[in-house]
Amino acid sequence: MEEFINIGKRIPKTDAEEKVTGRAVYIHDLKVPGMLFGKILYSPHAHAKILNIDTSRAERLLGVKAILTGYNIPSIKFGFYKDNVPLKAGKVRSCRDEVAAVAATDPDIAEEALDLIRVDYEILPSVFDPEEAMKEGAPLVHDEHVGGKEKRPTNVLNLPWRLIAGDVDEARRQSAYVAEDRFRVTWVTHCCMGTSGCLAQFDLKNNLTIYSITQIPSLAQRDFTEALSAMGLQGKKVRVIKTMIGGGFGSKLDTYAFEYIAILLAHKTHKPVKIVFSREEEFFATSPRQPAIIDIAQGCTRDGRLTFRDVRMILDNGAYTSWGATTPSVMMMPISSLYKVPNVRYVAKCVYTNNTYSQAMRGYGNPQATFAIDSQIDILAEMAGIDPLDFRLRNANTPGEITPQNFKIITCGLRECIDAVAQKLDWRQNRGRRDGRGVGMASLIHVGGGARVYKSDGCGTIIKIDDFGTVNVFTGATDMGQGADTVIAQIVAEELGVRTEDVVVIHTDTDVCPWDVGAHASRTTFVAGNSALGAAKKVKQLLLEVAGQTLGESPENLDIRDRTVFSKRDPEKKSPLGKVLRAAHYTTGGRMVMAEYFYDPANENLDREFKGNLSVTYSYGTHGVEVEVDKETGQVKILKYVAAHDVGKAINPMLLEGQVYGGVAMGIGYALTERLISQNGKVMNPNFLDYKMLTAKDVPNVDPIVIETNDPFGPFGAKGIGEPGLVPTAPAIANAIYDALGVRIKDLPITPEKVLAALKQKTKPQ
Amino acid sequence: MKKFDYLKPRTIDEALSLLNQYGKRAKLVAGGTDVMVMIKQKRISPDVLISLSGITGLDQIQYDGALRIGPMVTHRQIEKSQVIRKEFSALADAVDVLGSIQIRNVATIAGNICNAAPSADTATPLLVLGAQVKIKGLKGERTVSIESFFKGPGETVLEEGELVTELIIPKPLPFTGSAYWKHQRRLALDLPILGVSVLLSLDRNRISCPDILCATSPISTVLHAMEQEGLVCKEVRIGLGVAAPTPMRAIKAEGLLRGKRISDELLQEVAETASNEAQPRDTIRAEAWYRREMIRVLVRRMAMRSIERVIRPEETVFPTRAW
Repeated sequence: MEEFINIGKRIPKTDAEEKVTGRAVYIHDLKVPGMLFGKILYSPHAHAKILNIDTSRAERLLGVKAILTGYNIPSIKFGFYKDNVPLKAGKVRSCRDEVAAVAATDPDIAEEALDLIRVDYEILPSVFDPEEAMKEGAPLVHDEHVGGKEKRPTNVLNLPWRLIAGDVDEARRQSAYVAEDRFRVTWVTHCCMGTSGCLAQFDLKNNLTIYSITQIPSLAQRDFTEALSAMGLQGKKVRVIKTMIGGGFGSKLDTYAFEYIAILLAHKTHKPVKIVFSREEEFFATSPRQPAIIDIAQGCTRDGRLTFRDVRMILDNGAYTSWGATTPSVMMMPISSLYKVPNVRYVAKCVYTNNTYSQAMRGYGNPQATFAIDSQIDILAEMAGIDPLDFRLRNANTPGEITPQNFKIITCGLRECIDAVAQKLDWRQNRGRRDGRGVGMASLIHVGGGARVYKSDGCGTIIKIDDFGTVNVFTGATDMGQGADTVIAQIVAEELGVRTEDVVVIHTDTDVCPWDVGAHASRTTFVAGNSALGAAKKVKQLLLEVAGQTLGESPENLDIRDRTVFSKRDPEKKSPLGKVLRAAHYTTGGRMVMAEYFYDPANENLDREFKGNLSVTYSYGTHGVEVEVDKETGQVKILKYVAAHDVGKAINPMLLEGQVYGGVAMGIGYALTERLISQNGKVMNPNFLDYKMLTAKDVPNVDPIVIETNDPFGPFGAKGIGEPGLVPTAPAIANAIYDALGVRIKDLPITPEKVLAALKQKTKPQ
Repeated sequence: MKKFDYLKPRTIDEALSLLNQYGKRAKLVAGGTDVMVMIKQKRISPDVLISLSGITGLDQIQYDGALRIGPMVTHRQIEKSQVIRKEFSALADAVDVLGSIQIRNVATIAGNICNAAPSADTATPLLVLGAQVKIKGLKGERTVSIESFFKGPGETVLEEGELVTELIIPKPLPFTGSAYWKHQRRLALDLPILGVSVLLSLDRNRISCPDILCATSPISTVLHAMEQEGLVCKEVRIGLGVAAPTPMRAIKAEGLLRGKRISDELLQEVAETASNEAQPRDTIRAEAWYRREMIRVLVRRMAMRSIERVIRPEETVFPTRAW
């Protein structure tokens, strides 16, 4: 076993001190000379015609520098479906529609100006239920949107998600047991500690610099470049600079109206314009996780082998379309490949409504689908009279398997995860008591080796080393709090034989850093890590060549350990790294020790049938939970929580556990307490008082179990772990509640009200 | 946020004259945890904030037969007061679960009741403990009972130019226990779905088998086992929060229990009656049916906890159990 100096070590995040002492510069802290403050006026109606906008009183307010509406801006279209514009003209389609924007010398003045803008609306009939929205004669959210062969107006998006493998109907006929259920999940939101914001600034040549908190700097750069073209600024440059990011969780995978508004205001005023969201805006004007209605059927043989899985889903898209509309492509993953299931059918529709539009959120559809799948696995196991633990072990995925969606499973520690959880929970002892206490488990599959969502799944890295052995790594990756910088530093340090603290990772600037497709799909450690490793290998080769000359040794006989180059044949022959580098710089014919590397994993885009090896490798995990339910109040208390994950290799166990703790906390919120309450399209709880994110007092102790399967393709064997931590949480808890009481809750969150109502229903005399 | 002047008088009289001078343009502020939020949300827009924080001596808790709480006493001070924990337990229960420690460090109990939210955590404990509110204005002083203090959501009997100078809680009868339960969705930084306070005065503090209270059996089983003890309820008060436009007493329910022998059946009837007396609403925070249902459950539990506190005053039998 190789002895590592940096890999596998519990190294705190490189920016930890800065963050905890309040020195880190977030978008909220950023100030530039002459900066104006932008504020946005939103529609109070879910669906209405804009009859007139009167900005004259606001314009007269001292300190107001510009007011924009949908009627005085160029046509910029954005979003996955290009169905959104920064400021709306003609009509508004949801309560968060941006109607006007102000730039002023002071945020309070901007706010006051908003109050002075008068908008006359004519309210239109609206639709909030996706099933209603699909009906003939439902109000049309986008009047011009057509679909189907006849090109008729419709609220159903032209995104026919459809995956078919094997013969589901035949398999159903052959099944000994078939379970059929409807599950529902609702809106939850990311709750980033740092609210959204940006600062846009043009130079005298009309080149744009935008300070941003995006997870997709390179793609955002492209979106903004397109916007500049639409503004008549063809050929102008866009530079995206990231400040410290206060959490992403998928919320920053798109570009948003507020960013285009800041750009438009900055261009109009010739001044830098900053827009920062209040917490209320963060709740109602950013996009939550998609709600879904899930009809699912699964069958098994008499001895509990899965025969088929048949899923139909309706997703509430909201009024506009973000990248989140592609979450069905990820839902396909657990549907086709969580446990061995030979016959699979999945059909999903995304439907326009006058609700807030939804987007990507940690897990990207996987938590929704896994809630339905793994809740129903327990239902099916009970029908077959098999312990759900045995049922899962019987159907667990294995290495070498090719799943119905053509995923090639390389390493798979699912069995080990299930076993570990069962052992920690004393499963055989504790299951089936029905006395208010119960245990439950659920599992997950997720992409662990990147995901080819775009044509490229690549990431670039540049490494240079200075005179003193300090290593600068310029990466395309984005650190949004997850610790990417630290993990990349560890990987590079290990390869170069230096310490993690010798490595400085720079990821903040598109003018400086290489290209990357974005921080999504739990891909950063795997893809950016492999990219950094590739660059480090090239740099190491250069270093050894240079050192070979000074030490009079051929490079293949040299290696680096603890900042020193040494000969493997003659350990006395050695030189400190700094000395080698200075020799490279101060010698005639000298050279700069630097290298670049672009890593694009050997994964595949899904084909027209939505099949293909989306990821180089896949991450697995199982969560187990013991709950106690108060039968009189319906409240659920978590007594024990175990989270076992196959991570390939833990590069940094401390950060890894952080991902698991954070994921589980988010997952328990999803399962039990969190929801955006929407009434007639309006978010009724846009604050932490009424949005019940868990507090430190509520989150139970989580026991993280790390299963290392050493993936041959991962950097030092690692697989992705960013999202998995919350994927199986809700079904594990739902299954434990069933074990405790014998009631099955099929819609999230599982509130005390739902538990109590179900208990009363169950005990009601027939 | 709208700009305002911030005045810091040195005496109560100075504060009163400032209040009088600015009238409706002024807002009195103690800890500021409600007032500042209301200003930010544009629910109020005072030109002047008059702070009580510059007046010395308003942050005292005194116990001289009656408990006297100054208007600048914070929730955290109450939380740490041993006499309140022992003699006025329901109030200690309430401050334990209000907001967070950071909020409790600055938020005052007088502010909590003057804000008059139907969900105010300290309101129902003060109701069952029989608190009196001392009010001062330029015209003079008056004292009202806490029950008549609340007039509606956000409304109190305070007139323009008046402020609360003291809360007075009389010494309870012998063998009295009280308890408050905040029914909430998470363990901190939350408002109650329902707040239930019960105060019970018994005829004695000894029963032949006090260990029965340690049993983990359901509440009915424990009560059944206790019935032959013949404990008599000398006095009872039941306070309900978020069950009506103002914090309320369940008077009819109290009447059923007062002077009676405590039994499982009777307590069930009392809880049922309290539930029927309440007028909870459907809101985004909870539905009326669930609130009614919880009154049934929690009145009984808080009665049990009160009994436990009389009989086993030195220990909380199961800190995580509701009674």
